[in-house]
Amino acid sequence: MASNHNHRLLIINPGSTSTKIAVFEEEKSVFETTLRHSASELKDYGRIWDQFDFRKKILIEELKKAGIDPKSFTAVIGRGGVLRPIPGGTYRVGAKMLEDLRLAVRAEHASNLGAILAYSIASEIPVESFIVDPVCVDELEPMAKITGMPEIERDSIFHALNIRAIARAAARDMGKPLQELNFVIAHLGGGISVCAMRRGKVVNVNYALCEGPFTPERSGSVPLFRFAEMCFSGKYTPGEIRKKINGQGGMVAYLDTNDATLVEKRIAEGDDYARLIYEAMAYQVAQEIGARATVLKGKVDAIIITGGVARSKMLTDWITERVSFIAEVKIYPGEDEMQALAMGGLRVLREEEEALAYD
Amino acid sequence: MFRILAINPGSTSTKVSVYDDEAERFSETIVHTKEELAHFKDFTEERPLREMAVLNSLKKHEIPLESLSAVVGRGAPLKPLEGGTYRINELLLDDLRHQRLQSPHVSVLGGLMAFEIADSLGLPAFIADPVSTDEMHPLARISGLPEISRKSLWHALNCKAAARKASRDLNKKYQELNLLVCHLGSGITVSAHRRGRAIDVNNANSEGPFSPERAGTLPAVELIELCYSQRHEGHEMLKKVTRHAGLSAYLGTSNALEVERRIIEEKDEKAALLYEAMAYQVAKEIGAMAAVLEGKVDAVVLTGALARSEMLTGWITARVSFIAPILIYPGEDEMEALSLAALRVLRGEEEPKEYT
Repeated sequence: MASNHNHRLLIINPGSTSTKIAVFEEEKSVFETTLRHSASELKDYGRIWDQFDFRKKILIEELKKAGIDPKSFTAVIGRGGVLRPIPGGTYRVGAKMLEDLRLAVRAEHASNLGAILAYSIASEIPVESFIVDPVCVDELEPMAKITGMPEIERDSIFHALNIRAIARAAARDMGKPLQELNFVIAHLGGGISVCAMRRGKVVNVNYALCEGPFTPERSGSVPLFRFAEMCFSGKYTPGEIRKKINGQGGMVAYLDTNDATLVEKRIAEGDDYARLIYEAMAYQVAQEIGARATVLKGKVDAIIITGGVARSKMLTDWITERVSFIAEVKIYPGEDEMQALAMGGLRVLREEEEALAYD
Repeated sequence: MFRILAINPGSTSTKVSVYDDEAERFSETIVHTKEELAHFKDFTEERPLREMAVLNSLKKHEIPLESLSAVVGRGAPLKPLEGGTYRINELLLDDLRHQRLQSPHVSVLGGLMAFEIADSLGLPAFIADPVSTDEMHPLARISGLPEISRKSLWHALNCKAAARKASRDLNKKYQELNLLVCHLGSGITVSAHRRGRAIDVNNANSEGPFSPERAGTLPAVELIELCYSQRHEGHEMLKKVTRHAGLSAYLGTSNALEVERRIIEEKDEKAALLYEAMAYQVAKEIGAMAAVLEGKVDAVVLTGALARSEMLTGWITARVSFIAPILIYPGEDEMEALSLAALRVLRGEEEPKEYT
């Protein structure tokens, strides 16, 4: 039974140099702001976890300044961190989760602060706190985990929050339950994830940090042999090589910018090299979509392109030309993490979905 | 009638065939013993020995040298060049003699022997569709790292031959069709052929599905860790990813028949998972290449020794048959492919390519 009383949610989304917060009344955002943290403010904290008190304090101050009572919420939702591999969904924040995040069991990441910030503010009210679809969502089928070397198992690290939110939106627009649909979904941002979603589960996805298409700032998959030779050449430290894969690889390495808008401007001015590189990115995304379609044996109800870079018509047109033979291509440009987090919380509060436990 | 001598040198053997038009007169695999080869510093010195063996084989099979119309040799990893049948001209001969190759390979002796034998008889000598056949579209050359442009090094000889067989069975010219050709051997390549040109293909040593012996694409971050960890010396690591990865690393054997035996007789679930995972990755590569052709695919062609496995081709077919009809040409017959390549040119069905 759905409860009738109004839900008022605080949403907390910590990034590496900012904390985004929002207040939602039901599905509607009534307040949204980004608290920026300068490098000098953060430099004294050895570990990300140590920034908790600092971020909480300015968050509370900001709410008070905006005339929002920090005790006025019916629940608090945080961005999920890099936990152990778990199925997608909305998770109740609990002791085991906080412990794993404190220890950064898999990786140091700013989003590891989402759960503790949510939990700490919620427990003072007291109400419940949740996280939704963290990057560590892992619903891979067994074959998807196999690489070509026993030492390396494929991890599922991807843009789960936006991808799962957009999948729900697309299913709604198609008038069918998500559990009856198969999608190939490409999230195009600074990183690119392309997943095969079978009846709501992401059964195959490229490891977005270092696999798949190249992106505005990542190299994607690299030819193994010559890349290994680069590693062994003695010319690069591991840190330098890592930067070439993530941060300084892909479009920015070829064109000196990770800004798609700027690249499109150069193309409009007749820069053929920029055009080649930009189209090559679309070409590789299309290849990845084609690969995912075979995971679903061609039974694809729609191909969905989302994320910030999906705003580029040039890019989505190039991709569409190459993959529309598989299924209809639907574009959901942008990403709204705050909305996605709020919706994840509301589904549980409205008892449309069970909150999952992390243990 | 044209009588063609084809020569294909491997590391410890030389294959010789004679074709009368499309019909094989004989084929022989001449094995060179370790003792014989021990006299030489490396394969570059083995030409006279191997050439003598080829001539002896012709004598044994009662093929008079004067009855030959042309000699064709296996192509080497030369500089990137268009597919086709190349008459061995001065320039090509010079590159073969001086080992101007992308990587050293014994196949270089194929063209050299073909030339020496043909030249003494006043006949034309050819090579055809070498591994360095490069018809890649500019978009396919971009990797994601400016330091590394993608290279076209693949099973061009067998894949082009299989593509031609498929064209014949579809009653069309190779140049009129769009085909996806997958070579399933100890290495695996999937190539996208648009009207007779292979515009994209994975480099079997570096990319794509894992194979019985090779790793295929690996997540880069983990690869960095492997490279920088002390466990692997550079040379050893490169050998590992191209010779001792894939099925061999997971299951301790790269022999597909053995893997299938374990699956069927021993109900070995790990073997079943890994073997199917290989098919799964092959299917993904085929799907990726279908996007290269914008889905306009006349047929998916499976060839190579592993295309004999109904288990593998069945798994692949289940995943990719939505793209196009599947045609299977199991095995690889390089000798026939070489002979037919020479025959097309001798008959004037195809212009020989000029090596420049």
